[in-house]
Amino acid sequence: MSIITRSPFLFRINTGSCNGCDVELATTAMIPRYDVERLGCRYTGSPKHADILLVTGPITARSKPYLLEVLDELPRPFVTVAIGTCPASCGIFRDSYSIEGPLDKYIEVDVNVPGCPPRPQAIIDGVAKALEIWKMKIRGQK
Amino acid sequence: MNRFLKIAIRNLLKGPTTDPYPFGATFIPDNLRGKLEVEASACTACGTCEEVCPSGAIHITQNDGIYVHTTWYNTCCYCGNCEFFCPTGAIKLTNNFHTANTKEEKFKFVTTTFIAQKECIECGVKFTPPSAELITRAYPKVNEEIENLNKLCPECRKKLAFERLYKCMKH
Repeated sequence: MSIITRSPFLFRINTGSCNGCDVELATTAMIPRYDVERLGCRYTGSPKHADILLVTGPITARSKPYLLEVLDELPRPFVTVAIGTCPASCGIFRDSYSIEGPLDKYIEVDVNVPGCPPRPQAIIDGVAKALEIWKMKIRGQK
Repeated sequence: MNRFLKIAIRNLLKGPTTDPYPFGATFIPDNLRGKLEVEASACTACGTCEEVCPSGAIHITQNDGIYVHTTWYNTCCYCGNCEFFCPTGAIKLTNNFHTANTKEEKFKFVTTTFIAQKECIECGVKFTPPSAELITRAYPKVNEEIENLNKLCPECRKKLAFERLYKCMKH
């Protein structure tokens, strides 16, 4: 039973990242060498269209209210992917006073892609895993 | 026009520039810092890697007779400090970059190495001897005497050294 044939949209949030992971995400999406759109997904600018959420950064105290605001706007069900070591476990910033992470305090993280930053190929791996989870979620299997 | 044609023909022959990954093989640089590998025979469980790890990814715990070296990749920042500071060269970063893991395997995404302790041939106490890599680094020429001393625990080695000193002083 294939009720859904539509393609998922990717949406990314930077929660105080150093931009390393964001550069790798831009590389994965925008240059033809890594081309994440081969997997049948593309980036969107609006959280209201998003199906797969990519989060970078260790959730700084400054960015936390904006993150929670955007999380409320996302349509359910969606898949969360933590890009980089920071959102997965805060990494080297783990005991800092201004860090409110890791991401699983606020939301269920389905896929972690650790790395500082991860390779574009590793991000493609993570997106491929997220796509499978998204298909299962949308069919109500998970 | 001539130059343009040259580029067009070259691009036609070269094919697409897109990396075939994940449907095919990809280019991996040799010096890429990925998951690490610990050689259990060379490691002496000194804890230098645990000390220098900026993200606290490495932990060494002691069970009876065995040391467990655990690296959790979800907090590792792949800086390579452990490889740089390892006094025996037991830790090597491989170019394995496959780090994507699901939430079920988040806390199981580790590399575990078991470093066995040896028994002292004199008293039977378990201890961690300096590995062969460390000895060759410390002594320019490794002779039989050094190798025999390596089989003793620190206490027995101390005792042997003092016995030898006592004998020398007597004569």
